[in-house]
Amino acid sequence: MAKDKIILSEMDANFKYEIASMPGAEHFQRCFTCGTCTAACPVAEVHEDYDPRRIIRMCILGMKKEVLSSDLLWMCSRCYTCYALCPQGVKFSDVIDVLRDMAIKEGYVPKERYLKARELDKFVQELRCDLINQKLHPDKKLDDKIKTKLDKEIKVKW
Amino acid sequence: MKKIGVFVCHCGRNISATVNIDNVVKKIKKYPGVSFCTDNKYMCSDPGQDLIKKAIKEKKLGSVVIAACSPSLHEVTFRNNSVKAGLNPYLTEIANIREQCSWVHTNIEEATKKAINIIESIIEKIKLNESLSPVKVKVNPKVLVIGAGIAGIQTSLDVANAGHKVILIERSPSIGGRMAQLSETFPTLDCSQCILTPKMVEVSQHKNISLYTFSELEEISGNVGNFKVKIKKKASCVDNTKCTGCGICSEKCPVSVDSEFDEGLGKRKAIYSPFPQAVPNKPVIDKENCTFFLKDGKCGVCKIVCPFEAIDFNQKDEIIEKEVGAVIVATGYELYPMKNIKEYGAGKYPDVINGLQFERLLSASGPTEGEIHRPSDNKIPKRVAFISCVGSRDPEHHLPYCSKICCMYMVKHAFLYKEHVPDGEAIVFSIDTRTSGKDYEEFFTRAKEEGNILYIRGKPARIIKQGNELVIWCINTLTGKQLRVKCDMVVLSMAIVPSSGALQLAKELRIQTNSFGFFSEAHPKLRPVESLVPGFYLAGTAQSPKDIPDTVSQASGAAAKVLTLLSSDEISHSPIIATVNEELCSGCGICVETCPYDAREMDEERQIATVKEILCEGCGACISACPSGASQQRNLTDDQINNMIKVILQ
Repeated sequence: MAKDKIILSEMDANFKYEIASMPGAEHFQRCFTCGTCTAACPVAEVHEDYDPRRIIRMCILGMKKEVLSSDLLWMCSRCYTCYALCPQGVKFSDVIDVLRDMAIKEGYVPKERYLKARELDKFVQELRCDLINQKLHPDKKLDDKIKTKLDKEIKVKW
Repeated sequence: MKKIGVFVCHCGRNISATVNIDNVVKKIKKYPGVSFCTDNKYMCSDPGQDLIKKAIKEKKLGSVVIAACSPSLHEVTFRNNSVKAGLNPYLTEIANIREQCSWVHTNIEEATKKAINIIESIIEKIKLNESLSPVKVKVNPKVLVIGAGIAGIQTSLDVANAGHKVILIERSPSIGGRMAQLSETFPTLDCSQCILTPKMVEVSQHKNISLYTFSELEEISGNVGNFKVKIKKKASCVDNTKCTGCGICSEKCPVSVDSEFDEGLGKRKAIYSPFPQAVPNKPVIDKENCTFFLKDGKCGVCKIVCPFEAIDFNQKDEIIEKEVGAVIVATGYELYPMKNIKEYGAGKYPDVINGLQFERLLSASGPTEGEIHRPSDNKIPKRVAFISCVGSRDPEHHLPYCSKICCMYMVKHAFLYKEHVPDGEAIVFSIDTRTSGKDYEEFFTRAKEEGNILYIRGKPARIIKQGNELVIWCINTLTGKQLRVKCDMVVLSMAIVPSSGALQLAKELRIQTNSFGFFSEAHPKLRPVESLVPGFYLAGTAQSPKDIPDTVSQASGAAAKVLTLLSSDEISHSPIIATVNEELCSGCGICVETCPYDAREMDEERQIATVKEILCEGCGACISACPSGASQQRNLTDDQINNMIKVILQ
């Protein structure tokens, strides 16, 4: 995300109200940036720039274009850890859904992005379950299945 | 028939912007029974009040209606004004056309109609008003103070030094409260016990203070000026007239249990005095843990070793009855339970402790004699984390409010830790650091510089134990980077909650608390030390989280308010209370059951119900419950209310 100066008058002051009017995001303006969300976030743990707290700040500042066109919107794995820990009831996992929805509706990203993301989540979950299973009960068949997934499906589909 | 005068106030533009005053005056002038009506820009101003007085005299008015703001603001002003013109105060009534009309409406025509309606209904009421005089009652000049922490101590000393008798009760074996547990106090780093113990001794030696420790309020009845209280003095099984406080009993007692005073980090005996400077310095027997009581008289070592034969296992709880004129509630606080904070392993990992436990580790009289040793293995922790807002500011899981003192005691804790362990690292995790007190910001700056304390902005998500270390999951919100901080010990700034039993006490005293159990003040800005019920006053953290300077100020404030009450021998009580028409009363007794103030009783001889005037608060419960209409509220009778409703419905 840009490090340029933020010119407040050029931001979209209504953005935060737009978000807060959507189910699930009603209380997102309560955020007092304690950072508990980011502290426990498994994506933030591996991704240099992913920071839920920062996304909320950007929304409140009205950085609509930057937020809705950002790749970071699609990084959330929707594990709801942030949701459970937030002391102010911000429900960030739901906020992310609202933002993704907006990004599609307002044409910042193609419609297929959402379906693709869902599909990818499913693929990654399957792979994860297989890897765990293989660790717990090593099995040749499973081994082959994982290899196929890694070698073929990833190359072809993703 | 009394001549009625009506005075309509503009309240600048507060009323006149929405209510057409000219139309109101024109209409009211013609209302049956009204002999005079006029208006003024500010009726409460001196010229406004003079205008009313002049009219009362010249027009020979018998009663007065002021159409203005809420009676809670200027009823007293206008009644006193009428008295100056020779009228009984209860023949002046307020018609509220501001809060109940102009402020809540925008349509001028409709608002004007409503204002006229409100005034007409009050005219109907005042037609049947009687002249009344206040009920007078003698004031008992003694004061009960509940709780002997720094708030209770300060307020007792102030009242006692002004020459009044104080009964001070404390449920634990010693006075001193939380402040006695603290090591040093911010921002000056005064030794807490050094500044507190002289006051404790002063209390114990004061000729005007009767101190009852190990005692609780059992029952209270009565009303402002005249309360009857029953105090339960729990059996300590020690005859304090014989005991010298030598301490041999505690030394020889074979039972060892966790010390409440040391917050479970140290041990005490079953016969114990909580700390060396305890006042009174007499031990008590904790019957729940004493072998003598648990195993039918086996043991009794304390009785054998006591050189003064002061141990008395047969001692019984004692009920002490007293009469007082006012009550000051100073029951203090405790910490939100650590076990509620599962994500920090609090209550599970021994090295995750709370702020009061850290105070005990810092204290020279504490379980480690002021050396910082962590509970699990007694090692000196080389990296200690301090976490703010644990349970506070968290409406989702715990408590929504700010506990106010944590920011500052964390600065103090980190600073003192570095003094005790110079090669150690102190890391403070905070969402914000609020330093709004005299010299607080300066102390914060000094601690960061001199103490070399690391402040990380961010609320940790969880704490995980790895081997001998605790790993804190956090981010530094200022860089946006996740952090994993390993440390040897974690100190949680737990939220502050009212003392256990505060809600029960509030019920017994019949005074209000907020939804968290903190006692409610009569007004958040202008009456911060009085409760809503006359005769009850508040001091310290029983009312809200606060630090020692605020607590002491409030305690002195409560004392000043009590002294104002005690400054005259008599207090007057509103005469707007229940009366009984003896001819109508059937003696059913429903009123007696209904009254929440014990103000109604049966006259068994005449088989009718009566009113104890000084106890009646004029709530009207008995009046609405009375099946025969015998109970009536003075100046608010059924006839008056019916007439008012008729006018409004016309």
